[in-house]
Amino acid sequence: MRIKKGFELREVCGEHIIVAYGRENIDFNKVISLNESANYLWKNIADKDFTAETLADLLCQEYEVDAETAAKDAKSLLDEWVKVGLVEV
Amino acid sequence: MKKLVKRLIRALLRVLLTPWRSRYRKRNGIVSNQLRHELPNDAWLGEVSKMLDEGKPYAIYVKGYSMRPFIEHTRDRVFLEKRDTYDVGDAVLAQIAPGHYVLHRIIKRQGDNLTLQGDGNVRGVETCMMQDVSGVVTQYIRPNRIIPADDPKLIRRIRLWRKLRPIRRYLLFIYKAIV
Repeated sequence: MRIKKGFELREVCGEHIIVAYGRENIDFNKVISLNESANYLWKNIADKDFTAETLADLLCQEYEVDAETAAKDAKSLLDEWVKVGLVEV
Repeated sequence: MKKLVKRLIRALLRVLLTPWRSRYRKRNGIVSNQLRHELPNDAWLGEVSKMLDEGKPYAIYVKGYSMRPFIEHTRDRVFLEKRDTYDVGDAVLAQIAPGHYVLHRIIKRQGDNLTLQGDGNVRGVETCMMQDVSGVVTQYIRPNRIIPADDPKLIRRIRLWRKLRPIRRYLLFIYKAIV
Protein backbone atom coordinates (compact mmCIF):
# COMPACT_ATOMS: atom_id res chain seq x y z
CA MET A 1 0.00 0.00 0.00
CA ARG A 2 1.04 3.58 -0.60
CA ILE A 3 -0.20 7.03 0.26
CA LYS A 4 -2.06 8.38 -2.77
CA LYS A 5 -0.39 10.94 -4.95
CA GLY A 6 -1.11 14.51 -3.91
CA PHE A 7 -1.70 13.74 -0.23
CA GLU A 8 0.70 15.61 1.95
CA LEU A 9 1.36 16.33 5.60
CA ARG A 10 1.52 20.00 6.54
CA GLU A 11 1.76 21.87 9.81
CA VAL A 12 -0.65 24.70 10.43
CA CYS A 13 -1.07 26.40 13.80
CA GLY A 14 0.61 23.50 15.55
CA GLU A 15 -1.75 20.96 14.00
CA HIS A 16 -0.57 18.16 11.74
CA ILE A 17 -2.95 18.05 8.82
CA ILE A 18 -3.24 16.08 5.61
CA VAL A 19 -4.23 17.98 2.48
CA ALA A 20 -4.93 16.62 -0.98
CA TYR A 21 -3.65 18.89 -3.75
CA GLY A 22 -3.76 18.62 -7.50
CA ARG A 23 -6.52 18.38 -10.05
CA GLU A 24 -6.87 14.61 -9.58
CA ASN A 25 -7.91 15.25 -5.97
CA ILE A 26 -10.34 18.07 -6.68
CA ASP A 27 -13.23 16.07 -5.25
CA PHE A 28 -11.46 15.40 -1.97
CA ASN A 29 -13.00 18.07 0.21
CA LYS A 30 -11.65 17.01 3.58
CA VAL A 31 -8.72 18.08 5.67
CA ILE A 32 -7.52 15.34 8.01
CA SER A 33 -6.04 16.17 11.37
CA LEU A 34 -3.51 13.65 12.71
CA ASN A 35 -2.74 13.00 16.34
CA GLU A 36 0.81 12.56 17.62
CA SER A 37 1.19 8.85 16.83
CA ALA A 38 -0.53 9.01 13.45
CA ASN A 39 1.75 11.92 12.58
CA TYR A 40 4.81 9.84 13.54
CA LEU A 41 3.62 6.93 11.39
CA TRP A 42 2.83 9.12 8.40
CA LYS A 43 6.24 10.77 8.46
CA ASN A 44 7.90 7.34 8.35
CA ILE A 45 5.88 5.83 5.52
CA ALA A 46 5.21 8.93 3.41
CA ASP A 47 7.06 7.93 0.24
CA LYS A 48 7.23 4.21 0.77
CA ASP A 49 5.21 1.07 0.32
CA PHE A 50 3.89 -0.25 3.61
CA THR A 51 1.54 -2.72 5.23
CA ALA A 52 -0.26 -2.93 8.55
CA GLU A 53 2.79 -4.83 9.82
CA THR A 54 5.07 -1.96 8.89
CA LEU A 55 2.92 0.40 10.94
CA ALA A 56 2.78 -2.01 13.88
CA ASP A 57 6.57 -2.32 13.86
CA LEU A 58 6.97 1.44 13.84
CA LEU A 59 4.63 1.74 16.80
CA CYS A 60 6.59 -0.85 18.77
CA GLN A 61 9.83 0.99 18.02
CA GLU A 62 8.60 4.34 19.24
CA TYR A 63 6.10 3.55 21.98
CA GLU A 64 6.01 1.20 24.93
CA VAL A 65 3.35 -1.11 23.61
CA ASP A 66 3.08 -4.86 23.14
CA ALA A 67 3.03 -6.36 19.69
CA GLU A 68 -0.59 -7.42 19.83
CA THR A 69 -1.95 -4.00 20.75
CA ALA A 70 0.28 -2.35 18.19
CA ALA A 71 -0.96 -4.71 15.49
CA LYS A 72 -4.58 -4.04 16.42
CA ASP A 73 -4.12 -0.25 16.49
CA ALA A 74 -2.15 -0.27 13.26
CA LYS A 75 -4.82 -2.25 11.45
CA SER A 76 -7.54 0.00 12.81
CA LEU A 77 -5.71 3.13 11.68
CA LEU A 78 -4.95 1.70 8.27
CA ASP A 79 -8.60 0.74 7.81
CA GLU A 80 -9.53 4.32 8.65
CA TRP A 81 -7.04 5.69 6.12
CA VAL A 82 -8.35 3.37 3.43
CA LYS A 83 -11.94 4.33 4.24
CA VAL A 84 -11.21 8.05 4.01
CA GLY A 85 -9.34 7.51 0.75
CA LEU A 86 -5.77 8.40 1.67
CA VAL A 87 -4.26 5.09 0.66
CA GLU A 88 -4.09 3.09 -2.54
CA VAL A 89 -3.25 -0.59 -2.80
CA MET B 1 -36.55 51.08 12.95
CA LYS B 2 -34.69 50.86 9.63
CA LYS B 3 -33.42 47.40 10.60
CA LEU B 4 -36.92 46.25 11.37
CA VAL B 5 -38.21 47.49 8.05
CA LYS B 6 -35.39 45.66 6.26
CA ARG B 7 -36.21 42.47 8.15
CA LEU B 8 -39.88 42.71 7.25
CA ILE B 9 -39.17 43.32 3.59
CA ARG B 10 -36.75 40.40 3.56
CA ALA B 11 -39.29 38.11 5.19
CA LEU B 12 -41.92 39.19 2.69
CA LEU B 13 -39.55 38.57 -0.19
CA ARG B 14 -38.76 35.11 1.18
CA VAL B 15 -42.42 34.22 1.17
CA LEU B 16 -43.00 35.60 -2.30
CA LEU B 17 -39.90 33.94 -3.72
CA THR B 18 -40.54 30.51 -2.15
CA PRO B 19 -40.89 28.58 -5.44
CA TRP B 20 -37.56 30.00 -6.65
CA ARG B 21 -35.94 29.35 -3.26
CA SER B 22 -36.83 25.68 -3.24
CA ARG B 23 -35.76 25.31 -6.85
CA TYR B 24 -32.46 27.06 -6.10
CA ARG B 25 -31.79 24.92 -3.07
CA LYS B 26 -32.59 21.69 -4.93
CA ARG B 27 -30.42 22.67 -7.88
CA ASN B 28 -27.46 23.53 -5.68
CA GLY B 29 -27.74 20.60 -3.30
CA ILE B 30 -27.98 22.72 -0.18
CA VAL B 31 -27.96 20.80 3.07
CA SER B 32 -28.03 22.26 6.55
CA ASN B 33 -24.62 23.51 7.62
CA GLN B 34 -22.46 20.71 8.92
CA LEU B 35 -20.38 21.20 12.01
CA ARG B 36 -16.85 21.76 10.87
CA HIS B 37 -13.49 22.21 12.53
CA GLU B 38 -11.98 25.44 11.27
CA LEU B 39 -8.44 26.73 11.31
CA PRO B 40 -7.75 30.45 11.76
CA ASN B 41 -8.42 31.99 8.38
CA ASP B 42 -5.17 33.84 7.77
CA ALA B 43 -2.97 31.00 9.02
CA TRP B 44 -4.80 28.57 6.74
CA LEU B 45 -4.74 30.83 3.69
CA GLY B 46 -1.07 31.53 4.35
CA GLU B 47 -0.43 27.79 4.15
CA VAL B 48 -2.54 27.49 0.99
CA SER B 49 -0.52 30.34 -0.46
CA LYS B 50 2.68 28.42 0.28
CA MET B 51 1.28 25.35 -1.45
CA LEU B 52 0.41 27.35 -4.56
CA ASP B 53 3.93 28.78 -4.60
CA GLU B 54 5.24 25.21 -4.48
CA GLY B 55 3.29 24.47 -7.63
CA LYS B 56 0.57 22.49 -5.87
CA PRO B 57 -2.87 23.65 -7.01
CA TYR B 58 -5.45 23.21 -4.28
CA ALA B 59 -9.18 23.56 -3.67
CA ILE B 60 -10.43 25.48 -0.64
CA TYR B 61 -13.78 26.11 0.96
CA VAL B 62 -14.71 29.77 0.91
CA LYS B 63 -15.70 31.55 4.09
CA GLY B 64 -17.63 34.80 4.06
CA TYR B 65 -20.16 36.50 1.87
CA SER B 66 -17.89 38.86 -0.02
CA MET B 67 -18.00 36.88 -3.24
CA ARG B 68 -21.73 36.49 -3.54
CA PRO B 69 -23.47 35.53 -5.73
CA PHE B 70 -20.79 33.53 -7.53
CA ILE B 71 -19.18 31.91 -4.52
CA GLU B 72 -21.27 31.15 -1.46
CA HIS B 73 -20.15 30.96 2.16
CA THR B 74 -19.01 27.43 3.14
CA ARG B 75 -21.12 25.90 0.39
CA ASP B 76 -18.70 26.37 -2.48
CA ARG B 77 -15.10 25.50 -3.01
CA VAL B 78 -12.68 27.02 -5.49
CA PHE B 79 -9.73 25.38 -7.20
CA LEU B 80 -6.74 27.69 -7.08
CA GLU B 81 -3.73 27.63 -9.37
CA LYS B 82 -0.68 29.81 -9.60
CA ARG B 83 -0.10 31.77 -12.79
CA ASP B 84 2.62 34.08 -14.05
CA THR B 85 0.25 36.96 -14.47
CA TYR B 86 -3.33 37.86 -13.54
CA ASP B 87 -5.85 40.11 -15.20
CA VAL B 88 -9.16 41.94 -14.73
CA GLY B 89 -11.97 39.48 -14.10
CA ASP B 90 -9.81 36.90 -12.32
CA ALA B 91 -10.92 35.85 -8.85
CA VAL B 92 -7.65 35.67 -6.96
CA LEU B 93 -6.26 34.84 -3.55
CA ALA B 94 -4.11 37.80 -2.59
CA GLN B 95 -2.28 39.11 0.45
CA ILE B 96 -3.52 42.67 0.87
CA ALA B 97 -1.71 43.30 4.14
CA PRO B 98 0.98 41.28 5.99
CA GLY B 99 -0.67 38.01 6.95
CA HIS B 100 -4.08 39.12 5.73
CA TYR B 101 -5.58 37.33 2.72
CA VAL B 102 -8.70 37.84 0.65
CA LEU B 103 -10.29 35.97 -2.22
CA HIS B 104 -11.67 38.78 -4.41
CA ARG B 105 -11.94 39.72 -8.08
CA ILE B 106 -9.53 41.99 -9.94
CA ILE B 107 -11.54 44.96 -11.16
CA LYS B 108 -8.71 47.19 -12.30
CA ARG B 109 -5.13 46.72 -13.35
CA GLN B 110 -2.45 49.31 -14.00
CA GLY B 111 0.78 47.49 -14.74
CA ASP B 112 1.49 45.54 -11.57
CA ASN B 113 -0.95 47.53 -9.45
CA LEU B 114 -4.17 45.65 -8.90
CA THR B 115 -7.49 46.81 -7.47
CA LEU B 116 -9.67 44.06 -6.01
CA GLN B 117 -13.29 43.94 -5.01
CA GLY B 118 -15.48 41.16 -3.70
CA ASP B 119 -18.44 40.36 -5.94
CA GLY B 120 -20.64 40.71 -2.86
CA ASN B 121 -19.15 44.01 -1.75
CA VAL B 122 -20.80 47.24 -2.72
CA ARG B 123 -18.18 49.86 -1.95
CA GLY B 124 -15.01 48.44 -0.36
CA VAL B 125 -12.00 47.77 -2.58
CA GLU B 126 -8.50 46.56 -1.86
CA THR B 127 -5.22 47.21 -3.64
CA CYS B 128 -2.18 45.04 -3.97
CA MET B 129 0.69 44.27 -6.31
CA MET B 130 0.84 41.42 -8.80
CA GLN B 131 3.41 39.61 -6.65
CA ASP B 132 1.01 39.60 -3.67
CA VAL B 133 -1.34 37.32 -5.57
CA SER B 134 -0.92 33.63 -4.69
CA GLY B 135 -3.23 32.10 -7.25
CA VAL B 136 -6.35 32.39 -9.39
CA VAL B 137 -9.65 30.51 -9.27
CA THR B 138 -9.79 28.13 -12.22
CA GLN B 139 -12.77 26.03 -11.12
CA TYR B 140 -15.88 26.97 -9.16
CA ILE B 141 -16.88 23.86 -7.22
CA ARG B 142 -20.55 23.87 -6.28
CA PRO B 143 -22.19 20.95 -4.42
CA ASN B 144 -23.67 19.54 -7.63
CA ARG B 145 -21.33 20.66 -10.38
CA ILE B 146 -17.95 22.10 -11.22
CA ILE B 147 -17.83 25.20 -13.41
CA PRO B 148 -14.55 26.14 -15.10
CA ALA B 149 -13.59 29.79 -14.73
CA ASP B 150 -13.35 30.19 -18.51
CA ASP B 151 -16.94 29.06 -19.04
CA PRO B 152 -18.40 31.68 -21.46
CA LYS B 153 -21.79 31.82 -19.70
CA LEU B 154 -20.13 32.44 -16.35
CA ILE B 155 -17.87 35.13 -17.80
CA ARG B 156 -20.88 36.88 -19.33
CA ARG B 157 -22.66 36.79 -15.96
CA ILE B 158 -19.62 38.15 -14.14
CA ARG B 159 -19.35 41.00 -16.67
CA LEU B 160 -23.05 41.77 -16.31
CA TRP B 161 -22.73 41.74 -12.54
CA ARG B 162 -19.93 44.25 -12.79
CA LYS B 163 -22.03 46.53 -15.01
CA LEU B 164 -24.88 46.35 -12.50
CA ARG B 165 -22.66 47.67 -9.74
CA PRO B 166 -24.78 50.82 -9.25
CA ILE B 167 -27.73 48.66 -8.13
CA ARG B 168 -25.69 45.84 -6.63
CA ARG B 169 -26.88 46.45 -3.08
CA TYR B 170 -30.52 45.96 -4.10
CA LEU B 171 -29.73 42.85 -6.12
CA LEU B 172 -27.83 41.40 -3.15
CA PHE B 173 -30.77 42.20 -0.90
CA ILE B 174 -33.02 40.13 -3.14
CA TYR B 175 -30.39 37.41 -3.48
CA LYS B 176 -30.14 37.06 0.31
CA ALA B 177 -33.88 36.53 0.42
CA ILE B 178 -33.58 33.61 -1.97
CA VAL B 179 -30.53 31.85 -0.52
